[in-house]
Amino acid sequence: MNNLTLKDPELEYRDNKISARGVNVSYGETLAIKNVDVDIPDKTVTAFIGPSGCGKSTFLRCFNRMNDTIDICRVSGDIRLEDQNIYDRQIDPVQLRARVGMVFQKPNPFPKSVYDNVAYGPRIHGLVNNKAELDDVVEACLKRAALWREVKDRLHEPGTGLSGGQQQRLCIARAVATAPEVLLMDEPCSALDPIATAQVEELIDELRLNYAVVIVTHSMQQAARVSQRTAFFHLGSLVEHGHTTKIFTNPDDQRTQDYITGRFG
Amino acid sequence: MDTGPHIVSAFDNDLIAIQAKISEMGGLAEEMLSRALEAIKTRDVARAEDVIRMDDQLDALEHELEDMAQTTIALRQPMAQDLRVLLAALKIATTLERIGDLSENIARRAMFLAGQKRVRLSSSIVRMGRLTASHLSEVLDAYVTRSTENARSIWLRDVEIDDAYNALFREVVTYMMEDSRMIGLGSQLLFVAKNLERIGDHTTHIAESVYFIVEGQHLGDDRPKGEPLSLEILE
Repeated sequence: MNNLTLKDPELEYRDNKISARGVNVSYGETLAIKNVDVDIPDKTVTAFIGPSGCGKSTFLRCFNRMNDTIDICRVSGDIRLEDQNIYDRQIDPVQLRARVGMVFQKPNPFPKSVYDNVAYGPRIHGLVNNKAELDDVVEACLKRAALWREVKDRLHEPGTGLSGGQQQRLCIARAVATAPEVLLMDEPCSALDPIATAQVEELIDELRLNYAVVIVTHSMQQAARVSQRTAFFHLGSLVEHGHTTKIFTNPDDQRTQDYITGRFG
Repeated sequence: MDTGPHIVSAFDNDLIAIQAKISEMGGLAEEMLSRALEAIKTRDVARAEDVIRMDDQLDALEHELEDMAQTTIALRQPMAQDLRVLLAALKIATTLERIGDLSENIARRAMFLAGQKRVRLSSSIVRMGRLTASHLSEVLDAYVTRSTENARSIWLRDVEIDDAYNALFREVVTYMMEDSRMIGLGSQLLFVAKNLERIGDHTTHIAESVYFIVEGQHLGDDRPKGEPLSLEILE
């Protein structure tokens, strides 16, 4: 007989894809992230939640060294992607970002065709040998981003001509085109309408089968819907991290409870 | 966990109104039980009729509460303790409605008993009824004060009601065996006793809900129960 309990995917054991220990991030004199330890399991969606300015996006951007682009930003501590320190001098940030893809708040397709948006990464990273292979990669990525059906007849039209939700899924297709291991999403639905949001959420649930996904979201409902793990940040500290079902039904920390129930002052 | 007010104050008003509705239902259920017992004690048919009327009010309150809880869940998307307050409110409302039904049933039997000859047994029933009513009243207080300690204590003490029921059962059966003219009246009394025993069980369900609201966990299912009723007395 089928077991009719709620599916609790976090109970399955997953290897950690990223391990962060004692991470501090500062902008000049301001300490934005204070001594955070967190593990990001593979093939799992981890949500970072917390009030504005709590450091969740800053922390997310450490995972693919996006903070390197900000002069006054200093990151210390240890962040490992499969046992490799990503802040090691040997690591090429461009190669790292191919392994740790990112999707941003506002869809930002290149001013190129739908096809070229997806083909760009595989081309510059030399992941394909010929046009036929590239065609296959583009199709596979657009399918993985649940966009293929809608764009297969307009591959050579500009990506910027798609609707907002389609553009965001195009950005997801572009991110998965470099065969990453981790996908970082910084409020991927905040510029989308509810239907496009639902489509992206459905997609996130599918992406989980292949990637470790980390999503920063202002919508607690979204964190509850899409993630299996949730980490709550407040004032630069990681307050509580655990199974999403626990965080949203019976959190251990008073601050977490106050935030998720809408009582935060 | 102590909780402060919500940023959206209308949410607080919703939760307060729902908990006030539970208290209103609880007060009505208590009143029904106490009047039903009074009707048995004083053989007062008018009082029994009050209880039957009050049951309609209790049903109406339950529907109001369900509507309020549904609206709050749909509009506020409650989380954590807020969600537990609402889930518990729905469950407690159903439980109180059942307690009302059982009290109504006791009142109907009181109307029958009022026309029968007075027996000493009625006072045993009233004693058991007082015990049941005091548990109900305590659990409703524990709901308002969110006292898991008191809720747990009532939950553990339900065994007292079970024991009273078993003692009463034996007593009534003995009477019926001694005098077969007592069978009609005795059966009515047994039903009253059984109803009180059920009210005791429902009271423990409310205690479990209080515990769930505060702790986010279930109280467990190892509640002490009275000895299973032995029917050897009939042999």
